[in-house]
Amino acid sequence: MPSQPPLPPLLAPYVTLLPESSLTLASSILGATSNWLVLRFLHAALSSPSLNPAFGADETQTGIKKKVVLVSFLRSFDFWKTEAKRLGLDLGRLAEKQQFAFIDGLSELFYAPDASTPNTSPAGLGSSPRTTLPLRSPPGVMPGRGPPPAAAPPRGNISVTRAQAEPGIAKKLHFTGRGLAALDLIEKNIIAVIEQQKSSVEEIDELVLILDQPDLLLAATGPTMGIGATEIAEWVTGLQQHAHATVLTLATDAPLIHNASVSAGQPATPIETEHATFAIGLAHRARSVMQLRTLETGAAKDVSGVLRISRGGGWSAGEEESWEEKEVLYFIQRDGGVSVFGRGES
Amino acid sequence: MAPVNLSHRRTHNLLLISKLLSSRDTASPLTLVQDSLEQPATPLYKEYIRRAKLSKVHVTLIAFETLKQPEGVDCFVSTRRKSPADISKEVSAVASENPTRRRLILIDSINPLLSSKKSDPSFYLPSFLGSFIAPASPAAKVDASLVVTYHQDVPEPQQQSPYSPSPISVLTYLATSIITLHSFSHILAQKAARDRSLAPPVFGLDEEQEGVLLGRLDKLAGTGSVEGIVIELEHRRKSGRGVLEWYLLPPASRYSPQHLKEVVTLLDDNVLYNPPMARHIGPEDEEPTSTFELGLTDRQRRDREGVVLPYFDAQQGNGPGEGGRILYDMGEEDDFDEEEDEI
Repeated sequence: MPSQPPLPPLLAPYVTLLPESSLTLASSILGATSNWLVLRFLHAALSSPSLNPAFGADETQTGIKKKVVLVSFLRSFDFWKTEAKRLGLDLGRLAEKQQFAFIDGLSELFYAPDASTPNTSPAGLGSSPRTTLPLRSPPGVMPGRGPPPAAAPPRGNISVTRAQAEPGIAKKLHFTGRGLAALDLIEKNIIAVIEQQKSSVEEIDELVLILDQPDLLLAATGPTMGIGATEIAEWVTGLQQHAHATVLTLATDAPLIHNASVSAGQPATPIETEHATFAIGLAHRARSVMQLRTLETGAAKDVSGVLRISRGGGWSAGEEESWEEKEVLYFIQRDGGVSVFGRGES
Repeated sequence: MAPVNLSHRRTHNLLLISKLLSSRDTASPLTLVQDSLEQPATPLYKEYIRRAKLSKVHVTLIAFETLKQPEGVDCFVSTRRKSPADISKEVSAVASENPTRRRLILIDSINPLLSSKKSDPSFYLPSFLGSFIAPASPAAKVDASLVVTYHQDVPEPQQQSPYSPSPISVLTYLATSIITLHSFSHILAQKAARDRSLAPPVFGLDEEQEGVLLGRLDKLAGTGSVEGIVIELEHRRKSGRGVLEWYLLPPASRYSPQHLKEVVTLLDDNVLYNPPMARHIGPEDEEPTSTFELGLTDRQRRDREGVVLPYFDAQQGNGPGEGGRILYDMGEEDDFDEEEDEI
């Protein structure tokens, strides 16, 4: 198989040209994860144009400096740093240059280290207009789902530690309290980082926000905590308003999508209903949807999976006609390189 | 339903859809648009807005999903973190600011509202929708049409009360017109399968294939012929009579934004859906081709009709046949056979 540049030519137009206030949804399943795709988005935004002269679209983009804020809920910064290095991106250095910011939604989301002393009252959180907790969902409606144990201690507040000890991590998110208030605080923290990125150094043209697997928030909290698909979707909307373009990855494994449909013939659990509502609702809003899945015919030695790129419900008809929907195969090599090719090609 | 004449449908039903899409005469105060990922309602909304602009109708968009104000929308109401009561208050404030008589109110998706977890005990869907089209003061006569989109593929939220009807039943009950959208290429594929008595194919989420959200792949888009939206319309007239019709809305690139004439056509009038070949097969054309001449000339037909068959004779009993005996006139060329039975 011929080696392809870090950004495969077939994929390039779909990950580089992200129009203003667009949402790109990347859906993955267990057998076909979206990490490599997120890395391609990172590479497309962060690498200097001279690095890949093979790709023509960069020429039109010279002068536009992109910044990226990556919010990851399932992977640590170490993982992204190592993987990006294989593509020739030094995330640590880019973070120092304030071109990149990493927000850690994994390590301390439901665990507040004792060292940090939280300020006590929610009123002390600045200009947040929402000081009351939202209404609880009535008890007994969602049986069989307890609150996650880690989130149980209701501190009533969020504490954000500027992680000076770990370079490159702009912020660690904490989920405290419940319902909308907790989401609002996470949103505020992310927006703070975005604004900080925007204000730093010279003016930038584009800031790409990448939300990696925010469905974890939904899965870990759920309706008993007053958080459902609508609330998370609103949370995404709030973040979208501050970024030039948003890329969001999401799991679309069959049980999470199809168990809640009418044809399933059995009552779905709350997480199935909420996740399907969230995922399908986002696909309705997205400009483009990149769907990853495994080969229907089983595993193959030289194919890792199938990538289908479709227009989402948010596609506006007046947009460029050259953008075409596509289904391609991809193969992740041992060195982390990815080749993308059409069916029957190699 | 009795088959209605195609030309009758052409005149009446095209007039109806034109009235509905242009929100003329308040033909439908509440229109429910049911869309899916396979055919989103975005192009239809574009068409609504385009026509509203042409006839100077004030457009309000209540945005549950849309991030920024689309072109042509006069008033954009974001619903983020707002209670239903706040939303309707904001919309009626807009209405009082703009005393334009005719208004079009679009809701881009009702699903987030229905599945919202901060359930407001005072929230009641019919009165929420009613607050837009029937303003509180009866003096202000407003001519408003409300168009609501419901995503069919989003799972229904769990019911708060087991005895209350599901939101979609309420919506279909309230709506004066129900529009269901289909992708034209899918309709064609399904028709082709039906014509061969095969099971119609399913697309996207219905395939239930892991990892597939959208089945749409515009491979055929290059030909440009299969683009478009199929509109399945159910309209309830004031008299109570229902109208069912299938239409085709061509893609927006096919006509100019200032185009005044009706662009929607009947689906049955489309050559791809209903090829003209099928319509002209009449009984006259069914003649098989062969080297024999199977037809009759006029003279042959007259002669054939003149032949009196034996059984007609037999019924009379007193004619020359005397009860059905076969009479045989020997011709000159006939050779009399002695041994033949007596005739």
